[in-house]
Amino acid sequence: MSANPMLPYLGKLVETRDLAAAITLLRIELLNGGGEAFRTSQPGQFAFVSAFGLGEAPFGIANTPQRGTAVDFAVARLGSVTTGLHELGEGDMVGVRGPLGNWFPMDKFKGKSLVVLGGGIGGAPLRPVIQHVLDHRADYGRLTILWAARRPDLLVFTDEYDEWRAAPDTSLHLTVDTPDEAWKYDTGLITQLLERTAPLPENSVTITCGPPVMIYHTTNLLAKMGFPPEWNYVTLEARMHCGLGKCGRCNLGEKLVCVDGPVFNMEAVGDLLETYL
Amino acid sequence: MKKAKPEGERAKSVSDKRPVEYSQRWTISHKELETWLDGIAAARTLLAPRDVSGVTLYRPVANSAEIAPVFTRPLLSVKGVFFPPTERMFTIHKTGLEVQLEETFPEWETVVFGVRPCDARGARLLDAIFLNTNPVDAFYARRRENTTLIGLACKELGPTCFCTSVGGSPDDASGVDIMLYETEGGYLAQAVTEKGRYLIPGGEWKETDLAHQPSAAGSQYHVPEKDEWPGRFKDDYCAYVCPTCRCFVVRDEVLAPGEFERLRCWDSCMGENYRRVAGGHKPRFKRGERQRNRFFCKFYYFPEQYGLGAASACTGCGRCIEVCPVGVDVTEVLVDMEEQV
Amino acid sequence: MTFEPKIIAFLCTWCSYTGADSAGVARLKSPANVRAIRVPCSGRVSPELVMRTFDQGADGVLVLGCHIGECHYDTGNHRAAKRLPILHTLMQYAGLEAERFRLDWVSASEGERFSRITTEFVEAVRSRGPVSWRIPPEHVLAMSRQMAAAEPCPYPETDCTGKTDAIRAKAKELLFSGAVACVIGYEVGPRGRTRPSFAYTEEDVERLVWNPEVTNNLTGYIPVKFRRSPIGPPEPQKPVAVVVKPCDCRAINVQLAENHYKREQIHVIGVTCDGLRGANGGLQARCATCQDRVPLTCLYERDESTWVGLGIGLNEKRTFHLGRAWHHAGRCIGCNECERACPMEIPISLLNRKLANEIEKAFGHRAGVTVAPSPIVTVLSGEYKEGT
Repeated sequence: MSANPMLPYLGKLVETRDLAAAITLLRIELLNGGGEAFRTSQPGQFAFVSAFGLGEAPFGIANTPQRGTAVDFAVARLGSVTTGLHELGEGDMVGVRGPLGNWFPMDKFKGKSLVVLGGGIGGAPLRPVIQHVLDHRADYGRLTILWAARRPDLLVFTDEYDEWRAAPDTSLHLTVDTPDEAWKYDTGLITQLLERTAPLPENSVTITCGPPVMIYHTTNLLAKMGFPPEWNYVTLEARMHCGLGKCGRCNLGEKLVCVDGPVFNMEAVGDLLETYL
Repeated sequence: MKKAKPEGERAKSVSDKRPVEYSQRWTISHKELETWLDGIAAARTLLAPRDVSGVTLYRPVANSAEIAPVFTRPLLSVKGVFFPPTERMFTIHKTGLEVQLEETFPEWETVVFGVRPCDARGARLLDAIFLNTNPVDAFYARRRENTTLIGLACKELGPTCFCTSVGGSPDDASGVDIMLYETEGGYLAQAVTEKGRYLIPGGEWKETDLAHQPSAAGSQYHVPEKDEWPGRFKDDYCAYVCPTCRCFVVRDEVLAPGEFERLRCWDSCMGENYRRVAGGHKPRFKRGERQRNRFFCKFYYFPEQYGLGAASACTGCGRCIEVCPVGVDVTEVLVDMEEQV
Repeated sequence: MTFEPKIIAFLCTWCSYTGADSAGVARLKSPANVRAIRVPCSGRVSPELVMRTFDQGADGVLVLGCHIGECHYDTGNHRAAKRLPILHTLMQYAGLEAERFRLDWVSASEGERFSRITTEFVEAVRSRGPVSWRIPPEHVLAMSRQMAAAEPCPYPETDCTGKTDAIRAKAKELLFSGAVACVIGYEVGPRGRTRPSFAYTEEDVERLVWNPEVTNNLTGYIPVKFRRSPIGPPEPQKPVAVVVKPCDCRAINVQLAENHYKREQIHVIGVTCDGLRGANGGLQARCATCQDRVPLTCLYERDESTWVGLGIGLNEKRTFHLGRAWHHAGRCIGCNECERACPMEIPISLLNRKLANEIEKAFGHRAGVTVAPSPIVTVLSGEYKEGT
């Protein structure tokens, strides 16, 4: 009889770090064979993290396995499971099920310029992409990172901005909807920032992740700016409960976000994005 | 938005795919059937249509006398036998920082009597998800393996039945292990699979090479006149009575201090909170959108997702029509979808 | 081994929790069965909490707050004093022994009183054994009598063409004058079943009918019409017209009181009703269709609520149904749509009727007779005197 695919690996929380207001980075060291499974995880994949006694929820894997054996997840406190995860401390046990889903074809992106657009916590699944590009800097062209959030205190991975900025041929642009007094970067929506930054569509790949409305408007704008749909990548979220293509909750038209995604290019998504809103 | 494929293409039955392996036949009397079922009930769990305060449901029976004498089809489909409304996937034991997970698998052998061809077909459609698409669902697989289905061909179609319109038929034996056809004075029994053959008492029954008479009139359900699709309703239970709806939700429940279980439970895509994501955003907020998704899932997404090709995931059992409190009729919706394609 | 009941005590942090401390300091005995949960106020102890506590295996629930007049928040304990006894009655109706729930007042200095109340309570629960929710036979009898008495209204054969024509004429007039965007009425479906219908055009209007089977309560669709999607452009807020039976019209008052829409946003086409033929559609799952069909929203519907367990055991069902009835207390207009929708033919409305009676006894309030919200959520103070 086949093993139970719903059974998670056990993992030990080795580090919890506040990333932003109500957003915590969980660093998990996996036990009983889980480490092996996650060693081959790819940028863009996701996993279910269990707060035992409450349930599990899907999160994008926020680091590349090359950056350390532990797996990072950025968790915003929003529901019962995430609240449960926030209440855990170092040394506590969690469950991790994955890695699941498809990933960004980083090999296909070689030699191309990358435009990475992250909105709020949507930056988390993009972090491994950035890490991968920085680790293989010579393979890729120009890297433009557009990072947005509603408020300055909701920007994630702020402590890594210096590393990103310092990398060769890399630029980081920040924007928030409502700035505070100390804010010295752009203000407004990411679409406005995109128009201002105006990266060139030639030989470029765009990667977008964020709330549905942001993805919708950003991809529309990218198309208008001349980025071809097959090179506009998005990573979508949905309320998944199995991640295995069984529970049927995450459909996007005839596609299942958990097995056909979460990474899609806009050619594949097309009009279906409207049903995602 | 892609539209569903035309009905003509869709109407191909999944049952075409599996050849009938066995075709040994017997004629048995009512008395013989009763003795046989009593024997099964004594040895293992026998589920059969049973009258539960006015509603017919598949329920465990102690002997053949408890089986509902006349029924079109139970209100809930046979899917609950393989895919129960709630199922424990494992238990969690927490002591201090230590966590132990303990897997629990269902271990019981069941025979279901009185499975209508539409329900058997529903089970095969669920197989496409849980067995034929990787990864195999361990719970479903185990239950399915340990269950023998005794089919009963329909003598007549119920008021809401339309199996023949979606490629099924009232005497389709392809989804069950043993098929029974009512005859004058008894039944014609056919072993369809090896599992079924195993259940048949050797030597006691009279073997025959008679073919069965067509059971119910194989006429297509008369598709009602075109009307506007009232796609503005919401209600949940079409999904619960449907033999092929399989959406589920997963959550932990407390058993005792430090003891939890992870459960999965049937869910319905018609609920407003079905797609609610962290932060409160609800895709498919409108009833119409949810309803469109449900029908598209049944007739286009589901077959597309699980490699059924042109077949639909509807078995034509008509339960959703029967239970809908606001009279949404899937046959009517189909006609409307057709016209919009 | 003697039975040791599990008692959950919700203690107000300002008084009873300190009271428990005083009992400890004074070395007064209080039973070890009591597991204390400290709450900011007895008013915080929502009925859902109590029901979930029983659902999760408590044998008794004790709620202790400040004496009336001494609430740290002025009216918190009034809220408890008003709601919890009604909950107590409801739970008793569903088969819980009266001894298993108690609401009482203990001030910070009353260590002795705390000790006495807890000891009494634990002893009373101990004598009852594990919680069983058994409805006494005489109550079952009374319930079945009540169900038998609630016959479907008699339907005298009358000609409905007049009413149908009148509804169509009015609908046309409203749609054409642009007064409303949509008329919600009834139509006959392809299988001869009468069902809700939405008319936007002249063609649609021709479908509208009135007949003895117009059972659905259409008022449930009105709030939906005025609800805005969380994102995207706002829906046009043009008024809608709705065909309403006399028995349903009270739902509009409740919805108005709850600010689902404004009176001028709806046009009510009232139709007198000579009685209907009952139309009943069985389900063994987390079905919750009853809650979907009723015209009022319920807490359990609002999110994936963890107030009720995910399972389909008797415990979860009981918690769900009691909670659902509770959320309709003072709002249920008795349209019976829940019971009609139930495929398992569960007499759901028994609980609603029981609560409606209790609310009327306690507050003199009948749902939907006037535009007034349920007193159970609004009346905060002044209505409770100790000893009543």
